[in-house]
Amino acid sequence: MKVILQVEKLTTTFAGTVPGTRIRACDGIDLVIHEGEFIGLVGESGCGKSTLGRTIVGLEKPSAGRVVFDGVDLATLRGAELRSFRRAIQYIFQDPYATLNPRQTIGEALWEGLSIFGIADQSERTRRARKLLDLVGLQKDAETRYPRELSGGQRQRVSIARALTVEPKLLICDEPVSALDLSIRAQIMNVFLNLQQELGMACLFIAHDLALVRQAAHRTLVMYLGRIVEAGESDSLYHFPAHPYTKALLSAVPNPDPRVERTRQRIVLEGELPSPANPPSGCRFRTRCPISKADCAINDPALHSSSADRVVACHYA
Amino acid sequence: MSSALAPLISARDVSITLFTPTATVFPVDKVSYSVSAGRTLAIVGESGSGKTVLNLAPLGLMPAGVACDVTGSIKLNGREIVGLPEGEMQAVRGREVGVIFQDPLSALNPMRRIGTQIAEVSEHHADLTARAATAHALDLMRLVGIPDASERLRQFPHELSGGMRQRAMIAIAIAAEPKLLIADEPTTALDVTIQAQILDLLKDLQRRLGMGIILITHDIGVVAGMADDVLVMYAGRMAEVGNVEAVLTAPRHPYTQALLNSIPDPASRVGSRFNGLPSAPPDLGSRPKGCPFAPRCEFAMDTCRSARPPLALVKDGSAGHMSACPPKLGQAVLRAAS
Repeated sequence: MKVILQVEKLTTTFAGTVPGTRIRACDGIDLVIHEGEFIGLVGESGCGKSTLGRTIVGLEKPSAGRVVFDGVDLATLRGAELRSFRRAIQYIFQDPYATLNPRQTIGEALWEGLSIFGIADQSERTRRARKLLDLVGLQKDAETRYPRELSGGQRQRVSIARALTVEPKLLICDEPVSALDLSIRAQIMNVFLNLQQELGMACLFIAHDLALVRQAAHRTLVMYLGRIVEAGESDSLYHFPAHPYTKALLSAVPNPDPRVERTRQRIVLEGELPSPANPPSGCRFRTRCPISKADCAINDPALHSSSADRVVACHYA
Repeated sequence: MSSALAPLISARDVSITLFTPTATVFPVDKVSYSVSAGRTLAIVGESGSGKTVLNLAPLGLMPAGVACDVTGSIKLNGREIVGLPEGEMQAVRGREVGVIFQDPLSALNPMRRIGTQIAEVSEHHADLTARAATAHALDLMRLVGIPDASERLRQFPHELSGGMRQRAMIAIAIAAEPKLLIADEPTTALDVTIQAQILDLLKDLQRRLGMGIILITHDIGVVAGMADDVLVMYAGRMAEVGNVEAVLTAPRHPYTQALLNSIPDPASRVGSRFNGLPSAPPDLGSRPKGCPFAPRCEFAMDTCRSARPPLALVKDGSAGHMSACPPKLGQAVLRAAS
């Protein structure tokens, strides 16, 4: 499979609340996405997963590292070239209500994207817009409606259709189903699976729900405090996690069977995510890690292969 | 719902009508439940199912500008609270019932220190002096596991993390030692590792203080770990109610089964389709003649659409297990679930 996105040593920093300090929201991230691949990116709030997505798409400027898309380093692009690249990667946000223009009908929102893509003819625009609405599972009468008239699930379908107007090669989805009810969540997940399996679209899927990501993604990356701590094939990562953080994250998810939930052993992490402005020395996870040893405070573990398709950043995993 | 003790709270046929500036909606339609000391009832449903209105409207905790009409009966410690004047309701809130909201940042006063907000509850309800209330606030903050409590006492809500804010919110809710705690999606806004800490805290407080808990949630995993009994709501009505193990492992209502079925199965093939439900729940302005779930139900018969199926004890079920689905379909649901 052809590589479409290559992220190398990507670092994104923000000014800290204390003058002169910098917060490293993403710290030296490496990531490769192949054509048609579905990649899951998981971690808790504040781990930097959204910043990574936003930096790839150009909403944040990296302070170091490169984003290479289709063989082109994005930092070298200007003007028309940059605009054409923006089409190739589209971003879908968690809250579709906040990203849709409340004064625009759904049809207008889609026509706008299509005209940016260079489709000037109104009847052709209408035809394509209807095709997209059908693709994401909306009736064509949605065209004349406003975002406020739609349910949360329908709005998320609209934002997916709008992202598709410019025929992207990669979708970056930032918690696109977390605001939706369980029964609706499945409908939207199936839209993403269709896009990937039938249109061959690559997808970087940012989420905190590991079970959801396991079922959808080929590979999963786990982030903690700006770093990738474990990555590998989704199913094996879910069932056989190696990094103590991944283990704890999976163990914290309650089991829906009361007989299992009441008797199972859980790893409950102590404390909270340390401030990214002042991360712990050595391994960043050591302050909450159940197996940390003295040298974890000194040596920062690098990502290394632990088995055939698995990389882990831990001295003891 | 089986308990030798008299229930702390017992609701019978509660219906609620809300009058907003633009519409009249019926979010709660003939709901009954009870909770005894030391027990937890989980109320499960999706957004718009009426689970929050059911618990907050009778306490007078609806947003300003929304008028509501509550009918039926809710007995709290033997006293009827439906129709209680606002003045008397103030004494009920906080002292007899503590409430934890989903979003602690919007429930806490941003302009006041955490310690002050906790202390004012005990000052008001337990008639403590200001000094004693502050000392009590410090004890409460330690009880809910806030580290460096004496320093945190002087901090404002924005200086605390989401998990710490939720702990502060819990400290406020239990400050007057209420017998009943209503927790409305207490961990939905939190990360799973923090959720595990907060759920452990609630269980620990329940053991120590003997509180009854009403846990409003949409997360079946949280229900499985916390609840003794569970009430499943759909479109403002009771779909199914009973002991947690019975409802979650031997469901008799197709909606309960669909909810359980929507949880991703760790054994499924990567890339396989997710199980959900078609279309969306009905809007609460309409009151369907038949079962509100019928349009999305794979088992529905013609009679389901014409008449509302009564809530009845299920056949060969555990004590108190009731479903608002005809027995014949309930058996089919049970077979599909097992």
